[in-house]
Amino acid sequence: MTEMRWDVAPGDRPSIPASEQNASSGFLVYTLGLLLAVILTVTSFWVANTSAIWAPGVPAGLTVLAIAQMGVHLVFFLHITTGPDSSHNVLALAFGVLIVFLVLAGSLVIMANLNENMMVHSELMNLQMQR
Amino acid sequence: MTLLGKLDWSSIPFDQPIIMGTVGSVIVVIVSVLSWVTLKGYLPYLWREWITSVDHKRIGVMYIALALVMLLRGFADGIMMRTQQAVAAGGAQGYLPPEHFDQIFSAHGTIMIFFVAMPLVIGLMNFAVPLQLGVRDVAFPTMNSISFWLTASGVLLTNVSLAVGEFAKTGWFAYPPLSELQFSPGVGVDYYLWSLQISGIGTLLSGVNFVTTILKMRAPGMSYMRMPVFCWTALASNLLIVAAFPVLTALFAMLLLDRYLGFHFFTVDAGGNAMMYVNLFWVWGHPEVYILVLPAFGIFSEVTATFSGKSLFGYRSMVLATMAICVLSYTVWLHHFFTMGASASVNAFFGITSMIIGVPTGVKVFNWLFTMYGGRVRFTVPVLWTIGFMVSFVFGGLTGVLLALPAVDWQVHNSVFLVAHFHHVIIPGVLFGCMAGYNYWFPKAFGFRLDERWGKAAFWCWFLGFHLAFMPLYMTGLMGMPRRLQHYDVLSWQPWLLVAEVGALVILTGIICQIVQIVVSIRHREQLRDTTGDPWNGRTLEWSTASPPPAWNFAVLPRVDELDAFWAHKQRVLAKQELPVRQHAYQPIEVPKNSPVGFVTAFFAVVSGFALIWHIWWMAGFGVLGAAVTLLAFMFRTKDEVEIPADEVGLFDRAHPVEVSP
Repeated sequence: MTEMRWDVAPGDRPSIPASEQNASSGFLVYTLGLLLAVILTVTSFWVANTSAIWAPGVPAGLTVLAIAQMGVHLVFFLHITTGPDSSHNVLALAFGVLIVFLVLAGSLVIMANLNENMMVHSELMNLQMQR
Repeated sequence: MTLLGKLDWSSIPFDQPIIMGTVGSVIVVIVSVLSWVTLKGYLPYLWREWITSVDHKRIGVMYIALALVMLLRGFADGIMMRTQQAVAAGGAQGYLPPEHFDQIFSAHGTIMIFFVAMPLVIGLMNFAVPLQLGVRDVAFPTMNSISFWLTASGVLLTNVSLAVGEFAKTGWFAYPPLSELQFSPGVGVDYYLWSLQISGIGTLLSGVNFVTTILKMRAPGMSYMRMPVFCWTALASNLLIVAAFPVLTALFAMLLLDRYLGFHFFTVDAGGNAMMYVNLFWVWGHPEVYILVLPAFGIFSEVTATFSGKSLFGYRSMVLATMAICVLSYTVWLHHFFTMGASASVNAFFGITSMIIGVPTGVKVFNWLFTMYGGRVRFTVPVLWTIGFMVSFVFGGLTGVLLALPAVDWQVHNSVFLVAHFHHVIIPGVLFGCMAGYNYWFPKAFGFRLDERWGKAAFWCWFLGFHLAFMPLYMTGLMGMPRRLQHYDVLSWQPWLLVAEVGALVILTGIICQIVQIVVSIRHREQLRDTTGDPWNGRTLEWSTASPPPAWNFAVLPRVDELDAFWAHKQRVLAKQELPVRQHAYQPIEVPKNSPVGFVTAFFAVVSGFALIWHIWWMAGFGVLGAAVTLLAFMFRTKDEVEIPADEVGLFDRAHPVEVSP
């Protein structure tokens, strides 16, 4: 890291001259994003209700659509790109994803484990009933 | 359905002499302070310069003042419990009835964590981080003011519960099913939930503010590896706030839905699962521990480096350890409920991760020791707090490693051994750290140092008193004493608890010494005056500006070329044997305009919080509407900055001769 790039603080005037900021492209990006998001949403409603897809495949299809939806939001609305000025955003996203993963996966494992241990009682009950 | 919901005269506990006496004296104090302020004509000054201030330094000072006042309240709760347990052995019932004792231990925990430790830490970050980064303010100054006043709202609601209604009797974590409507039908749990919801939003906003500030606003040339360690720890702490506090908010929202709208998230019946509350509470709760202690570690790093006259040993390992703790703190939360039914393999996993998190902490301790080794250590008050911390915290940490063994935890869980352990890490870790920071940065904030003799007396009283108060609890814990006992029958515990009571009294002496220290320092402020802006021969940028710093912090933003920028600058000046020529072309500086929006929003937050607690629906609606209108009005402001003319900047700068020249 020889030359540091200095980010613009939030609320400051942008360093890029106004002429280079193309308003129409911004509008286009949002419209495109909205279109894709709507398509993905409609498709997932369709997938959930259709019989054209093999039934056990529906959850998988919904998952794929959901992930695509997240991708669309990240790229078109939150402007997460691979550009160098986006490294903070990417890092923040990575941290967030890691924490959400740890919390969700941990909670699922813990709660499943607790439930399983609670089950012992009812299984014993069942054994007694079978006897 | 009445106009005032559940509120009536019977809500005020007139029959409780202890509570009424306290409330009475608090009201007398508040009224006399308010009338003194009004009569002296300080009110406009307070409003203009403090209440509506969006200056990070002022907000930091207010956070710390709030925390110190609440420390008195929390400590009063603590010493009441110690006194109760010292006398209520065998047949004796002590002086506190069970339902009052239950409220006291709940309030003590809640207040000490949320309204003492958090505001102390956030206050010190507010004060020091922008100065250390060499910038003029935080990223969102008005939001900072809103954060503070929302925290103050939570504090106010918690204290109102003393006089009107009751506080939670559930312990500071309010586990369901006990905290559900079925078993806690009173307003206590609602006080707990709403005050923490309101202050939690404030904390979350602070977190966002600081992450943005540290990532986006640093002095020119200050790359990440040139940031002072305190800024790194503040970054880690605020990342944890941003990630953890929403969990708490969502969790409390679910419990509120259970209590208010008949949901069944955590109820006993209808498919609720109380274990999910415990799980999510500690998903927030364990990172919270590190939210508090990491900035304290940062303060210790600054203090050891400054007063040893050496750069911090192992800066990079310190940064790495901080960030490792930041992530690892999300992998250990189950150790708070080892005994609640998880299988051995799950317990073992979290036990091992809990031990692993001790490793980066150990790295830090060695770094501090090696920083002091070979240095010329000046034994000032901040250093005493730091050494006291190191001596004590290592043992507290070791009992933590003990408790991380599920097998040991099964033996001593829910006993006062645990109580002794977490006080043994939180008091030396967080409180000693904040006291070190308070003594260290006080001259920067007010322009004069705190009295050394009373500071040392306060330290020794705290240090000795702490050990006297909590070491006996390890013993009674091992003897099988559960926590939160209003009275007990085992007479062999009593001698230990009497010793603990003496310890609490010694801590009380320490607190009195701290109050005297402030009074004496203010009286002798002319002798203690810091005219240079650098009373400790500091290393980081906050010492390169005047004490107290002007609203704009730095007349010219410092240029940073290495770690410990100010120290390096001083070394260069010494080497050249000449002062740099101070020829600045001063520019006019824009500082954010003061705004009452934080105070007004918080006022409406208190109104709606109080109304929701007492089911006064029209008032709750009024409060929410008021807050929304206030924020909307703020958004349509036309002018948000004030320009300080270049002449004024130059005049101030020339009058205060310490500055890093670019």
